[in-house]
Amino acid sequence: MALLELEDLHVYYGNIHALKGVSLRVEPREIVALLGANGAGKSTTLNTVSGLLRPRSGAVRLEGEDLTRVPPHNIVQRGVVQVPEGRRIFGQLTVLENLEMGAFTRADPHGVREDVDRVFALFPRLKERAGQVAGTLSGGEQQMLAIGRALMARPRVLLMDEPSMGLAPLLVEQIFDAIQEINRQGTTILLVEQNAYMALQIARRGYVLQTGRVVLEGPAEQLRENPEVKRAYLGG
Amino acid sequence: MDAPLWVSGVVYGLSMGSIFFLLAAGLSFCFGLMRIISLDQLLYYSLGAYVAYQVNVATGLTWPAMLCGALAAGALSWVVERWVFDRIYAREITFTMITSFGILVAGVGAIKYVWGLVPRPMGIPVEAQVAVLGVNVPVYRILVIAITGAVYAVIQWLLNWTMVGTAIRAAVEDVDQVEGLGVDVYRLFTGTFVGAGMLSGLAGALHGPLVMVDPQMGLEVVPFVFMVVIIGGLGSLKGTLVSAFLVGQVVSLGSLVYAPLAQMAPFAAMLLILLWKPTGLYGSALLRR
Repeated sequence: MALLELEDLHVYYGNIHALKGVSLRVEPREIVALLGANGAGKSTTLNTVSGLLRPRSGAVRLEGEDLTRVPPHNIVQRGVVQVPEGRRIFGQLTVLENLEMGAFTRADPHGVREDVDRVFALFPRLKERAGQVAGTLSGGEQQMLAIGRALMARPRVLLMDEPSMGLAPLLVEQIFDAIQEINRQGTTILLVEQNAYMALQIARRGYVLQTGRVVLEGPAEQLRENPEVKRAYLGG
Repeated sequence: MDAPLWVSGVVYGLSMGSIFFLLAAGLSFCFGLMRIISLDQLLYYSLGAYVAYQVNVATGLTWPAMLCGALAAGALSWVVERWVFDRIYAREITFTMITSFGILVAGVGAIKYVWGLVPRPMGIPVEAQVAVLGVNVPVYRILVIAITGAVYAVIQWLLNWTMVGTAIRAAVEDVDQVEGLGVDVYRLFTGTFVGAGMLSGLAGALHGPLVMVDPQMGLEVVPFVFMVVIIGGLGSLKGTLVSAFLVGQVVSLGSLVYAPLAQMAPFAAMLLILLWKPTGLYGSALLRR
């Protein structure tokens, strides 16, 4: 059984039909890339999984259990956590406080302590700045913090929305290395990206969305060679 | 003007400022976190005073009566939050403001029904006076200031050194993202609202012995409390404290200079401060949302 399964999702913003029957699967320990142009419905799909948007019809299932009636905070407790687009860290809180917020619902202080160390091992820059107010971090550091904060909830599925957005190429490489490392440590990842080239390098499979529909799906290497994908998303 | 008048004026201003702070802090948090303008806090203020008065009359006790006032105010605010605000948080801010005004007016009506229109005198816990710089001032006013200082310290501790406090600060910045991290923000809302209600009730109870307890008392402080929130800068506790004491002093010392100034001077002060700093003294980036 798939760890995460979306079946025929229809989502509306008012009268606008944003998702027109999206279905996809994420198997345990996979990285799955969700590609597409602006407005194709990528973020809408993630926000529907994390419960911020409600579908008019269709289902989101975590190990077979429907999440579409579950309130957002319970979805996190079941192990589905989103790293939002634009990072949205708490700028007035310190780096450490941001991480602690990610672990708010957990009742095992010892495990939380361990996970802080784990995040610091993944992103040593954050350790150096643990006591600093997060609003003073650079864009790359803020992205690291947003990922670290999500990891503090011990997710089984991590939903990542445009982690490369607005970052210099060197930082994008660092972030993608970290995503691979997180995946190696056992976390399943659904990755939304405009940077299709980078995403298809680390993903096992991918889906291409166009105006609210899945128009292509397959193993990452196959999508990389697909002429349409090449033309539309890989610059030739 | 002679020195003794100034000393008692400053103490009077600080004790007024203390009451303003207790009221404005709750109002400021309700706006910062839930984005509501909770005029009904003034009802909890009146209720706190009336319950304290009633328990005082029935038992002769003073401090425990005030505690009862604060607790009763907290209980009523809990009922209102569960019944009313929980259903309308998502609405426009004007909607919640008008709703809260309706609750305030209805509540004042209920108070008039129960306790009548005649102002009631309330017993004072400490009648003694103490010499400050050679001037006798009532010990009770000094205690009101001290209690407010302690309340301020406790709130700061809660905000900065507990996980719930961290969550409240985070939610003032970005409530959706806090929810996205698995926090049940509606529980934070309830806790904050009841906390604000208890502070308002405490303000009323502490204020009772200094004024007459009367049905209009909540409506009378509305302009001052709003001024405090606006001058301090929305969402800043420290700003609220500074501005509460400032408004208290302007009311008190202004009336020493020229009696009608007591009503007018705070507005003039607010105008000047807003011309100089449009977001208030400690107004912050928290209002970007």
